[in-house]
Amino acid sequence: MIIKHQQKRLCLGLAGCLLSTGNVFAHDPVFSPGPHVLFKDGFEIHAEFAQSEQGDEKESEQAVAFKYGLSGDWVVGIELPYETVKDDLGTEQGVGDMTLSTKYRFWRKDTLGVQETAAIVAKVKLDTGDDQVGSGTTDTLLGFTYGYESLKWYRWASVRYRFNQDRSIENKGNLQRGDRLFVDFAGGYRPKVNDYREADTVWLLEFNGEYSGRNAFNGVNRNNTGGSQWFVSPGIMWTLRNFAVKAGVQIPVLSNLNGEQDDSDYRARLEFEWHL
Amino acid sequence: MNSKINKLLRTVFILFVFNFSLPVLAGGSLFEIRADGLACPYCAYGIEKKFMAIKGVKHVDIKLKEGLVIVSGDENLILEEPELKILFDDAGFTYRTIKKLDSKK
Repeated sequence: MIIKHQQKRLCLGLAGCLLSTGNVFAHDPVFSPGPHVLFKDGFEIHAEFAQSEQGDEKESEQAVAFKYGLSGDWVVGIELPYETVKDDLGTEQGVGDMTLSTKYRFWRKDTLGVQETAAIVAKVKLDTGDDQVGSGTTDTLLGFTYGYESLKWYRWASVRYRFNQDRSIENKGNLQRGDRLFVDFAGGYRPKVNDYREADTVWLLEFNGEYSGRNAFNGVNRNNTGGSQWFVSPGIMWTLRNFAVKAGVQIPVLSNLNGEQDDSDYRARLEFEWHL
Repeated sequence: MNSKINKLLRTVFILFVFNFSLPVLAGGSLFEIRADGLACPYCAYGIEKKFMAIKGVKHVDIKLKEGLVIVSGDENLILEEPELKILFDDAGFTYRTIKKLDSKK
């Protein structure tokens, strides 16, 4: 019973990791990474509020992140979340796992009013969080992202793969968590091109796909884990010079989860960013 | 009474003209720089920050539609192509050309 409870908590912890896999940069989509980086020696302060519901489970996360531009094409960052998980077993909250991230833009094509770029993304989620909300593992994510930005239209695509480390549960067994694959497509439209010092608005629409492998406990696959989901995610990006607000909601449109699992109801995210 | 008002208006007018003429009287310099990749104002902030770190630069404006960066500064401000290439690369954009404008226009 205790193990079952711990496994459920762990799954919730994984959902928390899902919320934080966004941690996107600058002028990127809300729920998926784009190839944007920071200018050299630039700082980014990022505050994020995320909430999701899945059946009886409700999870919220507040996170702060700091990023630094090592060059005009290379950025590094650190993110620290605080998570709250509510379900029929009660409420758990605490400091989540710290994530270190980096993005390198290896290709850039600039023309008048248009920038086309591609970048690789890497993240390591460390085992630093409180037991109640942390996953208890060190997980690695690798990804590739492409973006086309013009004064009027935007389009992005990305693919990410997360290698989940196995986890021992207090000497009671070993949990092998399924890896995850993320595939994202996004578009953006700027209704009006304003001057540099005026407010700027871009409307976004994303399609976010997620595939998760089954978890296994002591080598035995768990039936009610893993599967795939697709989300349609409208969003908005509002900026004023070096300040940005981004918001969006993920609405599930296709769900093929293994066994008996609640489909995701929604995921919402609000972000604030300052470039210094 | 009327002469006092006239005198006051004349003083205000002179102060007004003098105030707006100061940059011209000071003989500042003005540059128009063409750059590619300028697709959003938020991303272009790095350009402003990089230019404002150069001694003598007073103001930076960015015209996204035209792909132009307008830099005004001291009379003896010099902007050289090699340093501009590095500056724009560090900001994440591509430098193209520079033109010095008549700041009195």
